[in-house]
Amino acid sequence: MNLYEFCYGIIHWLVDLINHLWYWLGNVFPWWFGDFFNAVGDLAASHGNIVVFTILLEVLVILIIAVINVLNFIWIDRKFMGRMFDFYGPYYVGFRIGGWLQNIADGIKLFVKEIITPAKADKIGFYLGPVIFVSSSFLALSTIPLGRNFGIATNPSGLGVPASALMAFAFFAIAPFAILISGWSSNNKYTLIGGMRSAAQMMSYEIPMLLTVASVFLLAGSFDFMDIVSAQHGIWFAIPLALGFVIFLVCLVAEVEIQPFDLPEAEAELVEGWTTEYSGMRFGFFMMTSYLRGYIGGALATALFLGGWHGPALIPEPIWFLIKAYIVFVVIEWMRWSTPRVRVDQLLNIGWNRLMPLAMLNLLIAASMKTMGWF
Amino acid sequence: MSPKKKQSTFGFVLRPMKRTGAQVWRSLIVGKPNTVLYPYQKLDLPPTYRGKHTLDFKRCIGCGNCVQICPNDCMWMEKLEDPELGKIERPGVDMGRCLFCGFCVEVCPTVAIHETVEFELADGDREKIKFGPKELRDDAYSDKIVEERQKRSVPVLDLDKCTGCEKCAGECPEICIAMMPIESVGKSKPEIALPKCTACGKCVVVCLEKALTMKDMYESYFDLPEPKIILVNCTGCSACAKACPADAIYMMDMPGTEKTLKDGKKGKPKKRAVFVLEKCVGCGRCFRACKFNSIEMPGVKK
Amino acid sequence: MWNNMGPQHPMTHGLWNLRIKVDGETIVDAEPEVGYLHRGIEKLCENRTYTQIIPIADRLCYGSSLTWSHLYCMTVEDLMGLEVPPRAEYIRVASIEMQRIASHLMWLAAYAADLGAMIGFIYTMRDREVFIDLLQALTGSRITYNFPRIGGVAHDIPPNFERDSLRACDYMEKKLKEYEDLFDGSKVFMMRNQGVGVFRKEDAMNLGVTGPPLRASGVKYDLRKDMPYSVYPEMDFEPATHPDCDCYARYRVRMDEMYESCKIIRQAVRKMPKGKWRAVAPRNAPAGTGLGRVEDPRGEGMMYVVGDGTDRPYRLKIRSPIFVTVSAAKKMLVGYKVADVVAIMGGLDMCIGEADR
Repeated sequence: MNLYEFCYGIIHWLVDLINHLWYWLGNVFPWWFGDFFNAVGDLAASHGNIVVFTILLEVLVILIIAVINVLNFIWIDRKFMGRMFDFYGPYYVGFRIGGWLQNIADGIKLFVKEIITPAKADKIGFYLGPVIFVSSSFLALSTIPLGRNFGIATNPSGLGVPASALMAFAFFAIAPFAILISGWSSNNKYTLIGGMRSAAQMMSYEIPMLLTVASVFLLAGSFDFMDIVSAQHGIWFAIPLALGFVIFLVCLVAEVEIQPFDLPEAEAELVEGWTTEYSGMRFGFFMMTSYLRGYIGGALATALFLGGWHGPALIPEPIWFLIKAYIVFVVIEWMRWSTPRVRVDQLLNIGWNRLMPLAMLNLLIAASMKTMGWF
Repeated sequence: MSPKKKQSTFGFVLRPMKRTGAQVWRSLIVGKPNTVLYPYQKLDLPPTYRGKHTLDFKRCIGCGNCVQICPNDCMWMEKLEDPELGKIERPGVDMGRCLFCGFCVEVCPTVAIHETVEFELADGDREKIKFGPKELRDDAYSDKIVEERQKRSVPVLDLDKCTGCEKCAGECPEICIAMMPIESVGKSKPEIALPKCTACGKCVVVCLEKALTMKDMYESYFDLPEPKIILVNCTGCSACAKACPADAIYMMDMPGTEKTLKDGKKGKPKKRAVFVLEKCVGCGRCFRACKFNSIEMPGVKK
Repeated sequence: MWNNMGPQHPMTHGLWNLRIKVDGETIVDAEPEVGYLHRGIEKLCENRTYTQIIPIADRLCYGSSLTWSHLYCMTVEDLMGLEVPPRAEYIRVASIEMQRIASHLMWLAAYAADLGAMIGFIYTMRDREVFIDLLQALTGSRITYNFPRIGGVAHDIPPNFERDSLRACDYMEKKLKEYEDLFDGSKVFMMRNQGVGVFRKEDAMNLGVTGPPLRASGVKYDLRKDMPYSVYPEMDFEPATHPDCDCYARYRVRMDEMYESCKIIRQAVRKMPKGKWRAVAPRNAPAGTGLGRVEDPRGEGMMYVVGDGTDRPYRLKIRSPIFVTVSAAKKMLVGYKVADVVAIMGGLDMCIGEADR
């Protein structure tokens, strides 16, 4: 039974429970009061109504999973970074459980800060920038299924939407747009420069990433996550397409703005890059979305290259998926803290001159494998 | 520019990653990280560490050398009443200005002030870190630590008891005692050349009046200023003798200066100040106490 | 249009202003402005006795403070004509070389942090703690030591000093190999540093630059070998040079200097004679002049003192190496991108305390 049917069942049970109240009220009151309550009960129990609430419940599920994963990622980042830097990470925060509650503490701190809007900033753009950024990332997350029966963006039959991988990448690529809006509407020439640099970096690394993903689509034969993952039951795509996997990881690091490619945020001359003028929870949104995009990248890498949820049947499939995504994230974190930052012209040089030919080469390899009939 | 071939990229990014991975192994799986969980665990500091000061009231003679040598004017002398010691002056330290340089410890002639390893002195109020002498008092600290300053035994003269018999000068095997005449007094006093003295103690034994005693004095590495008397101006008021913390000034009668009073009797003779420079700690209190400009001490402020 | 980088800036170490004129991303002209940290040290010294100036000389450059107080004591000993006991000289040399390693490690920490490799910052600071702990056991303080005195050093070495310093040198040589993996082995680091900030040999010599920037341009000039002072004639080491004149050469020169310092510490600690560690200096200095020159981790430092017979100096003049090197910034910056400013100015190891006095 997949997630959609599970949520449908829960909502149906809940609606039946509440309908006891409505029907009892319908019996108590005579005349048209009673008819009114009966009609309400019938409306509540109708199929369309339950579908609406099922979708809302699924949205809640995806939000909870995403937020918990992001908090876990931040915790792992800080502890792993701590051990690499030869200190403990967060240790005593309230209880001595390893400092997971530090995330909650940081969230509370960001909530109580004052939200300042610069006087001459463009109000609509300033407000909408983080909103677009966060919502497009969550949308991208919703299309990735965590298990055979655990897809979130599904149609009423419980199967995934067609071309879900293409949708994921489309949503993922809305980000440069939101960054440009945020950087420009802050009314600060340095954030504008930072926003433009960031947008340029993201756009120039989209192309090798999409070429690599195109090679995966070629081998799997469809745009759908379910089909791609089932095509990997024999061998993971990371092994024949090793070059593509490496290119995909590098492009991922550049998309999520993690060192060594985090020039727009931590450059010495632009204090925080395009997020300088944001304060309080708006800044928290950007930070959270940065880690969320890291999680999405890890999930995409797992689904496309590392076999998704295939694994020994001891552990349920979504947990396998999450374990693989976490491993990809840990490797990225390892690389993050080991290298210095790349200069902006060298960065664009790498993206256009070095990665694109390699991505073409990868596509050639995939095409030749497909014609030889191995997949 | 970077040749992004597969081998060279891997090689050049993997070498730092090998090191950081080894560090994670060492700090997570094999051992502990390098930090301590302050304030639950604290590090041990070496005994030479310079932190908050400690004052031994009994050893301190109230000379004020520490106040003078402080480069930043952080110390002051405070007049106190102590039940055992009477009316005394002891120094206090303003930790807000203190450099923790350790000069006050080095210049103290009796090693009465020490610097402990306590460094957690932060407070929200600036007045609270001005420590007066009572807050710094710890009379037992000197027994807890290993003393670093070198001590030597030297014979110390009590000029009230000395008769000028010259036996000590004759007995000294190193010939470091010279009998110098005291101007206008007629007697002579022994002056001991401390660099040559070997602390054999023969001069102490031979003195009939017990004017010489062997005392342990701490070595001073600083060249401290010495006072010189200008005899013409000295009126014998004995302000310097009362001010001296080390009992190095004695008032002696000058014979032949008695005035004849109206009824024919002879009055008391005038006094003059005599310095026993082996005991002098160079604090300059005599210089500041004399109102008749009869003490010359270069380098000390009024 | 002139743009200001600083004085309040996350990248600049210390308080100074760099005005640059940019054309797109390329720097066309540059002008550094120092003087925001002027504390009037030379005037302060005219009102204090010779002994009281020693902690003030420490605070000239807080990154390598033993060098400056040692330089001051050498200058006053030259003025007074004082003879320092040999044990004191060996203790001074051992502590100065440890201070040199600590100063270079702090430079490396700031440099790596600017370039983005936080890992470099943390590792070098951790290893610097080893030497700071040694100096803490020796002198009693961690950064401004107040250890040299006119006529020697303040007190004798603590027990186990020889064993601990030899262990520290072995540890440091192991860690220097690790840094080679971490920095030389990282392609990104090499991309940021090679070919950046080229500073020709003629320019370096004409502008009066000394220290690692001069040696990185190929000139073999080290005061410890060319005009030796203290017991350096008895030490066996080689000054480090590098033929490329770019940022990578300056980095490499400082790493090699750390190897040489380890060698010197080993020799100094093993050859230390027994005896007194301090001579009593006279309180009043004769009327005359004294000059001292020393090889600071950042270049050549010099002090000139004029005495007038009392116990306070009449004038104390301090020559700081960073003041001269900063004025050479224009030659190094013109023609490179704005993003290279961090690498180039970081490679000069600027400690503004001594530039502004």
